[in-house]
Amino acid sequence: MGRCRQRRESRLTRVVFWGLVLLTASFVGGRARAWDAATTHAGMTGRALEASRFHAALAHRMGRALGSFEPLRLDVAALDANRARDLVGRLRALDSAGGYRPSAEGVATASAWVRAGSVLAKTPPERGRNHFLEPSTKSGLDDDSGLSGAFHAARLTLDDGATVRAAATGQAFALDGMSALAWLRSPHNDFGLAAFFDNWERALSAETSSRRETALVRALLAMGGLLAVLEDAGQPAFVRNDFRGEFLARESGSAFERWVADRYGAVALPPAGPAVVRPDVESYFLAGDLLGLAQKTQRKFFSPGTLPADFSCDPCDASAARLVHRSLAFPEPEVGGLDLRQSPQTRYVVQDGLRILAYRRLGDRVHFFLDSSVYADVAQAWLPEVEGYAAGLVNHLLRAKVGFAVAGREAALTLEGVDEPLQVASGFRVFVEDAQGERKPIATAAFKPGTPILVKIPANARKIAAFVRGKDKAGEFVATGEIAGP
Amino acid sequence: MVAVAVALAMCVACSPLVENAPFSVRPDSLAPGDLLGPFDGMVVDGETERPIASAVVVGSWAFERGIGLRGPASVREASVETDADGRYRLPQPDDLPTGSSMRLRRFTLIVYHRGYVAYRSDFKFRSDGKGEVRHDFSQRANKVRLEKWQAGMEHRRHLAFLGSAEAVVKAAGWEAQPASLEYDGGATAPRAPAPQAAKVQTASPELLDASPLLSVEEVRGVTGFAGDFEIGRLADRVRSEEYDSLHFKAKGKSEGFDVGVRVWAGSPALAEAQFGKLIAELPAAMPTEEIGDRSVRARGGEVVGLAFLLQERGLVVQISCGTSQCTEAGMVLRLAKLVESHLGELRVGGDRNGSPAEGGPGEKGGEP
Repeated sequence: MGRCRQRRESRLTRVVFWGLVLLTASFVGGRARAWDAATTHAGMTGRALEASRFHAALAHRMGRALGSFEPLRLDVAALDANRARDLVGRLRALDSAGGYRPSAEGVATASAWVRAGSVLAKTPPERGRNHFLEPSTKSGLDDDSGLSGAFHAARLTLDDGATVRAAATGQAFALDGMSALAWLRSPHNDFGLAAFFDNWERALSAETSSRRETALVRALLAMGGLLAVLEDAGQPAFVRNDFRGEFLARESGSAFERWVADRYGAVALPPAGPAVVRPDVESYFLAGDLLGLAQKTQRKFFSPGTLPADFSCDPCDASAARLVHRSLAFPEPEVGGLDLRQSPQTRYVVQDGLRILAYRRLGDRVHFFLDSSVYADVAQAWLPEVEGYAAGLVNHLLRAKVGFAVAGREAALTLEGVDEPLQVASGFRVFVEDAQGERKPIATAAFKPGTPILVKIPANARKIAAFVRGKDKAGEFVATGEIAGP
Repeated sequence: MVAVAVALAMCVACSPLVENAPFSVRPDSLAPGDLLGPFDGMVVDGETERPIASAVVVGSWAFERGIGLRGPASVREASVETDADGRYRLPQPDDLPTGSSMRLRRFTLIVYHRGYVAYRSDFKFRSDGKGEVRHDFSQRANKVRLEKWQAGMEHRRHLAFLGSAEAVVKAAGWEAQPASLEYDGGATAPRAPAPQAAKVQTASPELLDASPLLSVEEVRGVTGFAGDFEIGRLADRVRSEEYDSLHFKAKGKSEGFDVGVRVWAGSPALAEAQFGKLIAELPAAMPTEEIGDRSVRARGGEVVGLAFLLQERGLVVQISCGTSQCTEAGMVLRLAKLVESHLGELRVGGDRNGSPAEGGPGEKGGEP
């Protein structure tokens, strides 16, 4: 009781303090978003699923005949009370027009659950603080400067009733956060890698069909959460440590993301490019070959807070180029070939056929900015690429499967889609499903590379299911498969 | 302290800010509309301009909160059906969410009626999947012109376009199965290899059994039919070791609601001959390349038909479907694809006199 009262008093003191700061500083505020969660993340994730092997994996390995369109029910009674309350509260905030809000009974299609996961990954939006990744330092958001972090935390604290509570839990953050890579594996991330693999395994092995279905929903939500983190590595501000420039500098917020949300919504995103194949989960973000999405995004695009600094040029000669380069926060993209003749017209820095930076010379002053032409070029070219990375991550997560060959009353099980060296801790775990849909383990067999596992199929078997959990060259996997009994 | 408490109380109880609406108040006005509404309009057939009654109309108000980073905070939703004149009206939502950073970000209107392409107030449906921003939506006196569903349009894209409001999902639930079939080039999940399948191509004294080829649920999934069927065999030809049929007779309905399946199993040469015979016999037969090695479409009276040949396997399949059941040209093809996906379960044997058993599809097997 004493501790509780102390905590309440401490919280009250913080609220009063932040309130005073806020009253002093007034309510001037930004309105912005990362990739708009409700539209752009959901749409990109949907496109990624279409370009991936998601549908086939559900239909063929998880016994979900309609694949992407399989209706799945989340049984909240199967969750612990706190988790259920939190999840239901977040799900109720979702917009049905986006196509991913479950029904009142907790039913949505498999694809909708993944898209919901990518939206819930940033619901409440402050979760997005952990989606930043500066590739050269591998660090997360760290954009505090002087009092701006404290001021931001104060404003979040007083945002509404819910975030008064958040002040005590760190949701009211001071422009800092965990790196995206750390967040993927953080135990505090309910949509992280561990949540995905644990629930994918339970979606096959849980005893009742209801529990398997709920576990599958949770795995799909986690998959959506993972995709949202990766998709943000395709947003320049998230890989250039630019919170203040992108999200706080203007009353109208991130003009780029708003432009994308209004132009493409949740249902009209450009189709994904080819699914990208990378060696492991981390390399989808950054890797030694510099082909991680965060690395490519940082090299190719500017964010509002990392533009070249405006400058006065008189005379406008080679020294101007030096001034521009000296002001860059990151070495790339380079700013070359500036046309600094006097003109009222907007000119553009073009790279790979894309307008990536706008500038204008008025008098001696050269001003750099991003405008709707830049947004249009960047979005049209880059969204399919980001979606292709997301599709590749889906394939990567679902790469392993258990193959079946049935002869009479015997099944030969093989592990497929994985690379040496292998560490298989679980062995083959084999289950039989009866006519009531209940599954029971019937065998656990040690894994031997290249050697099928032979299993006798019981007479009453309606289905045989198996999983193998382990690590291969590409990282953790849970291989699954199931087949009807003879 | 008092000032802080007042400030807190004020910002917690704030009504949401309402963003500028991207649509006009009326079709003939440039004045911006109000995201809060109310909304009204009329739903008509895009070709005939006739009102469409009982179309599902859903309005969704999406609220966001947050400073710097913003995200979904709350939603309000209302659904109605159009009246006999095709009219709808959605009042402003009450009980709005509060909070200092709370704002109404979007309003979306979605209209669905079976047989038509759904309508959204923000984007137009395009079958190539590329979205097109809609500019002709207005808050009041809005006219929703629904386009007829066309063959070649994809249900999987349509479902993604529809949103997930419960009223729409309920009305469009039948699209899930054809949408699933559109993945992987139309192949549904394969079933476990049927040990009897090999017998189909061997001389067998037992009768062919077509009952695994199509189920009531699958027919309903494709056509959306909610009524009951009596399952039997088509009576015009005797079942044999090389031929069997299924007749889904719609209870209490005309033949226009019936579905029939015929299958011939023999040698490749016999199958070729049988397929040639069908082309000659079927009314208004038109060769197509939609399914199998060869296929042909036909139409006679209230029935549309599709037959296809799998020469190497020695199989010919003919699907017939009443036009009241198969209301779109693509439906008979989807039925054919379902049948094709079950041909591995085609078997010989069973009760010579009995009716085919009603049942759902078998279980899935390994990924190809």
